[in-house]
Amino acid sequence: MAPNLSVEIAPGQKTGLLLRNPVMPASGTFSWGLEFAKHFDISRLGAVVSKGVTMVPRAGNQQPRVAETPAGMLNSIGLQNIGIHDCLTRMAPLWARWDVPVIVNIAGDSIEEFGEMARMLDGIPGISGIELNISCPNVDIGGIEIGQNVEASARATRAAVRNTDLPVIVKLTPNVTDPVALALACEAEGAAAICAINTVLGLAIDTKRRRAVLPRARGGLSGPAIKPIALRIVYDVAKAVRIPVIGCGGISTGEDAIEFLMAGATAVQVGTATFANPRALLDVLEGMEAWLTREGYDDVSQVIGCALPEGTRAG
Amino acid sequence: MNIEDALLLSTERAWDGAYITWFHAPGLTQGVEPGQFVMVHCSTERTDPMFARAFSYYRLDGDRFAICYAVVGRGTRWLSEQARGTSVRMYGPLGNGFRLPDAPSNLLLIGGGVGVAPLVDTAERAVRAGHHVVAMMGARTGQHLLAASEWPREVEYVVVTEDGSTGPKGFVTEHLGKYQEWANRIYACGPNPMFQSLADVLRLSGRRQSPEILMEENMPCGWGMCYGCAIFTKHHGVKLCCKDGPRFSLFEVF
Repeated sequence: MAPNLSVEIAPGQKTGLLLRNPVMPASGTFSWGLEFAKHFDISRLGAVVSKGVTMVPRAGNQQPRVAETPAGMLNSIGLQNIGIHDCLTRMAPLWARWDVPVIVNIAGDSIEEFGEMARMLDGIPGISGIELNISCPNVDIGGIEIGQNVEASARATRAAVRNTDLPVIVKLTPNVTDPVALALACEAEGAAAICAINTVLGLAIDTKRRRAVLPRARGGLSGPAIKPIALRIVYDVAKAVRIPVIGCGGISTGEDAIEFLMAGATAVQVGTATFANPRALLDVLEGMEAWLTREGYDDVSQVIGCALPEGTRAG
Repeated sequence: MNIEDALLLSTERAWDGAYITWFHAPGLTQGVEPGQFVMVHCSTERTDPMFARAFSYYRLDGDRFAICYAVVGRGTRWLSEQARGTSVRMYGPLGNGFRLPDAPSNLLLIGGGVGVAPLVDTAERAVRAGHHVVAMMGARTGQHLLAASEWPREVEYVVVTEDGSTGPKGFVTEHLGKYQEWANRIYACGPNPMFQSLADVLRLSGRRQSPEILMEENMPCGWGMCYGCAIFTKHHGVKLCCKDGPRFSLFEVF
C-alpha cells in the first residue's frame, strides 16, 4: 500500500491548507507555475508557491544576477515580478483552474504594505495561502530588513493575519543569531506556519575584475551547500513552536526531504534543485514516497519530527 | 522538453580551443527549430558545477545532434575531455529559434566567434528551403575559424579576422558592404559588442528592418524558472533570454 502523504499545514486556522503531499516549490524558483504546468502534471505537487509579488511591478536587478558556487548558487535577482495587480487579474484565474493549492509569496516595502497585500489576496479564487517574504536579501527596502528584526517580523505577521482569512506562512531568513525568537514572535501573531529558510547571505569575487561578481556584492546562497544550515534551523524552530514548519534549503532528493521531515518539518520546499533538474520536485516526491514505502511507513506523519528530542514533538 | 542521458559519440576539434561534440539523443532531436538550445550537464555528480550549460544545436542528423563550443571554463573543459560512450545528462530543446521566410529570399547570416554555432544548422535548413545564403563570420585569427567544409556547398562563406590572417582585417560588422543591401533578412549570433556594432552600422545605412539575433546570457535553468538571464529591452521591459529568447529583435535590445 502506498503511504498516505497528505499533510495539513494550517491546522486550527480560519482556513486550513490540506496538501495532497508535503512537496512544493520554493518561491522564486518556480516563476508563476505556468512553465512547469506546460511540461509536467502540476496537480502532482502538494502546493505551488508563486514568485515574490510586490505592490508595483519590478524589473529586478542588473546583470550579473547569479554566481554559481560549489553545490549551490548566489542570486541577486531583485524580485523581478509582474506586481500584485497582474498577479490577481492574470495569474489567479489560471490558478483557479488547477487542481493544486497556490500560495502567493508577498514582499511588502513596509509593514502596512504586507497588510494591504494580504487584504487584496483575501477571497480571491485560485489563491489558497500567503507566504510573507520578510527575508529577501536582494532589495533595498522591506525584505530582510524586516525579517532580521523580531518586532518588525511580528508586526508584519499581525498586519497580514488581520487582513485575510487565508493562512499566513512566514518565511524566515537564516541571517540572524536567533531564528527561534523570530518564529515564536510570528507564531504569537497568528502565523499558520513557519517556512525556514530563505537564502544565506554570501559573496563571490571575480578575481579577473578584482571585485564582487554581483553588482550589489552580496547575494543569497542556495542549493545543497546550505542544507545543514537549513536543517539546523528547522530543528531548532520545530522544537520551539506548535505550528507546522515548512523546511527549505538544499533539498534535491527524496532522502533530503525525509531528513527535513525528521527534523520536524511538516512539508518541504524544493528550490535551486529545479534549476539543475527540471523534474526535481517530482524526483523528491517519488523518492520520499519510495523511502517511506521501503521503510514500512503507512503515513508520512509518522516520520515528522522523529529526530527531535523526546518531549519536543508537536501534536 | 525532454530530459535524457545522451550518449557521447565523438569530439573533434572545431578550431584552436573549440570543439564539435556529437551525441545520440533520440528524445532531444525531434521538432527542433534553428537557434534553439539544449542544457547539457558538464559534470558527473552535477553538484560542482551544479547547473547545466546552454548550447545551441550546431547540427542535427536523425537522432543525433552536435554542439560546437569554445572551452571557456570548467564545464566546457570537462565536456571536451569526455570519451566516446560517456553518458551525459541533458534537457531540451528549449527557447525560440530563428524564423525563416516562406518565399525564397537572400539571407545574410552574421556570426562572431563561437556565435557561429547555431548558424550552420540555420544555413542547412535555409538552403534546403531554397534560400540564397551568405554566411559572414568574424574571428580573432584564421586559427579561430570553422572549416569551410562544415558549411553547405551552396553557402557563400565570407570570413573576416581581427588580425587579417584570413580574409579582410577587422570586425565582421565593418565589412558588410554590398551584402547588407543584398539581404532580404539578416540573422546574427555573437558577442554583445558585435550586436551593438551591427545595430550602429545598420541604423547608419538606414535599414529599418531589424535582424533576428540569438543572445547569450548566464542561464542556470534554461526554462524560465530562475530569472537569472534577464535581457533588458528598449520597449518591452525585461525579458528572459531562455524563455522569451534567445531570439530577439536586434533593434529592440541594441
